[in-house]
Amino acid sequence: MTPRPVPVIHVVDDDAAFLRSVLFMLEGCGFEAAGHATAEAFLDAAPALAPSGGCLLLDIRMPRMSGLELQRRLVESGSPFPIVFMTGHGDIEQAVQAMKGGALDFLQKPFKEQALLDTVNRAVEASVERQRLRARQAEARAVLERLSPREREVARLLALGLSNKEVARDLDISDHTVHVHRQRITEKTGSGHAADLARLLLRADPAGLDAG
Amino acid sequence: MSPRLPSLVLALPLLFGGWGAVAAPTGPATAPIPVGVLAVLDDQDTQRQWQPLLDGMSAALPNRRLQLHPLDPAGMERELAAGRLAFVITNPGHYVVIEARHGATRIATQTAAEGGDPAHAVGSAVVVRADRPLPRELMDLKDHRVAAVAEQAFGGYQLVAAEWSRQGIDAESGAVQRLFTGYPMTRVLDAVLQGQADAAILRTCLLERWVREGRVAAGALRVVAAQPDSRLPCQSSTPLYPGWAFAASPHVPPDLAREVALALLTLAPDAQGTRWSVPADYQRVHDVLRTLEVEPYAFLRATRLEALARRYWFVLGAVLAVLALGLLYTLRVEALVKRRTAELTRSLHERDRLARELEKDQEAMDHLSRLSILGELSATLGHELNQPLATIANYAASVQRRLTQGRLSDAALQQALQDIGSEADRAAHILEGIRALARKRVAQRRLSDPAQLAAEAVALFRGLQAHAPEVRLQVHPSCQGLAVLVDALQVQQVLLNLLKNALDAHRAASTDQAPLHCRLHAEAGQVCLAVEDAGPPLSHEQRSRLFEPFFTTKPDGLGLGLPICRTIVEAHGGALRARPVDELGRTGGMVFEVWLPVAPADPGPSRTPQEPLP
Repeated sequence: MTPRPVPVIHVVDDDAAFLRSVLFMLEGCGFEAAGHATAEAFLDAAPALAPSGGCLLLDIRMPRMSGLELQRRLVESGSPFPIVFMTGHGDIEQAVQAMKGGALDFLQKPFKEQALLDTVNRAVEASVERQRLRARQAEARAVLERLSPREREVARLLALGLSNKEVARDLDISDHTVHVHRQRITEKTGSGHAADLARLLLRADPAGLDAG
Repeated sequence: MSPRLPSLVLALPLLFGGWGAVAAPTGPATAPIPVGVLAVLDDQDTQRQWQPLLDGMSAALPNRRLQLHPLDPAGMERELAAGRLAFVITNPGHYVVIEARHGATRIATQTAAEGGDPAHAVGSAVVVRADRPLPRELMDLKDHRVAAVAEQAFGGYQLVAAEWSRQGIDAESGAVQRLFTGYPMTRVLDAVLQGQADAAILRTCLLERWVREGRVAAGALRVVAAQPDSRLPCQSSTPLYPGWAFAASPHVPPDLAREVALALLTLAPDAQGTRWSVPADYQRVHDVLRTLEVEPYAFLRATRLEALARRYWFVLGAVLAVLALGLLYTLRVEALVKRRTAELTRSLHERDRLARELEKDQEAMDHLSRLSILGELSATLGHELNQPLATIANYAASVQRRLTQGRLSDAALQQALQDIGSEADRAAHILEGIRALARKRVAQRRLSDPAQLAAEAVALFRGLQAHAPEVRLQVHPSCQGLAVLVDALQVQQVLLNLLKNALDAHRAASTDQAPLHCRLHAEAGQVCLAVEDAGPPLSHEQRSRLFEPFFTTKPDGLGLGLPICRTIVEAHGGALRARPVDELGRTGGMVFEVWLPVAPADPGPSRTPQEPLP
């Protein structure tokens, strides 16, 4: 495995003592941990936080902005942090809602140190994976940025497995023009093969093969 | 009471009616003049004794003929009342009676054969057998058997009875065992001689005559308390009284009366030596009869009660009636008072009993209510206790790990122990708050700061209700320094209820996390603690039934919270009111206001130490 940056585990809980104990436990397990007393405080700080393979341990019930609300906002803003919810035993309904909203997992208070450790490790891995995916996407998008709009259109049709002639007919242009575009695409992306183009487009956007 | 009373009553109309009906008392001069003579023994004896006298007088009076009529007292009474007698010869006692009753007037008094004084001619001799030493005095006869001829006999009974009476012996009521033998007087003598009686009462000189005649052995009998009297040479146990009277009835013409009187006075002594003298004073006879309260003084006995009663019956009746009414009234009032008192006592007892039961019920209701709100609040209580417990567990696990890995720093241990300690305290406080609510207890009122009460209730609410929404507590400056005299726990219970209701209202409107408001202000000597929610609007009907027991808008509610809250607040002299936030009902939300009277300013410490609550 490639050496990765030390992940920072962010914990949001309105109960100060509990927050401190979770941070204490995480630090005892070798994680770097940061506490936030309210959802709002974390939301304010989030843009400046480096993902660094970290994750978010989030209390589900808090006055004013609840954990679920924070999750919704983070998803909206494309936050990279995988979210693990901390729930009470009566909060099953909300836990289900949280999982539907994309939460990685939830821990029911009180939890064992090992359970926390396992969950946080999985979250960190997920975070790392998520970050790798994001990096590849960014790379693919950067490549695609080099193509002109017409070249991107031609690339999409080629990725769908169409021949030069079919592309020319679809786009109502000459075969020669298609050929020229294909050459440019190969120069810019490094490959003119349909499979390579398809991979590139999907990495940049999971919906990248759909009609634009 | 007295058998004599009716005779008196009957006699009076006869007396008055008799005179008017009387015909001319005397007929023509040749007609016989009727003379009634009291028969002491029998008619023959009377005839024999008195006929010579009448014959002598008839001889002395030209053209007059006196006719003897032997009569007993009743016959005498009857004849006199009918006006059929012109003259009467009778004993002193009886004379006094007819004098009083018929207006007869004595015209001569008989002297005793042995003495010449008409005023001291008759006495009584009480005789006993000479072989008996006692009695010596008349008084000694008390409780002895004494024989007498008749109760009406003057010399034969009444004189002795009068002496007894003067000496305080009431013979009539049994102090002396009287034995009335009836006439003739020899029967009395026989009673003593034969031992049927201890003593006998005889007219004076009778004993001496009988001894002379040989009918009684001399010395066989002796006279008790013999009083020597020069006016009569016979032994007498009593003073001497006037002799028999010759009396004229009132309708006898004065001439005839004078003629008869003259004839009597001038008549020679009879065979026994008795003669007639000037009329004696019968006053002492009256005294005897009055003492005995017999005719004509029988009314004296009656006077005592009956006569008064008869005379003043209306006064007596009125007095009795008033007394009776008074008594009835008193009894009635007393009975009423007693009944009312009993009723009052009963109702007081009943009231006390009800009050005690009510108090017990109230305490039970309070308790139930506290348990109920606890039940509602502690649905999430597990959560709340979880927090400190989870915190402690976290530290424990982590410290252990660090220790085994040999990297437990002093600073880390310090932090862990500090938080473990404070979290343990926190858990204990939560439990203590619950225990206090759950405990059965008697209300204790103390001066409390309303702001502190509200703050503690809010803290308890937040402590019990995990993730409860924020409660914004606003204390208006008007509350500054004011105290209320309340049972802190009860008021907290009320506020907890109101906060819980507000939270439920928010949940019903899916605005769980919207803040609740608790506002305090003072106004007109009252402190108002208001809890405001932003729940769904309540219908007018729901609003009007808020405080009804068992009315609830919640699916699992008991419907007892607000009624109990109101009871508690009213028990503190306050009021619990509900009003919509917007009176026009355009938006939802209710405000529940607890109004409590401000306690008079207390110079001392105005707040009691309260339990610290989470």
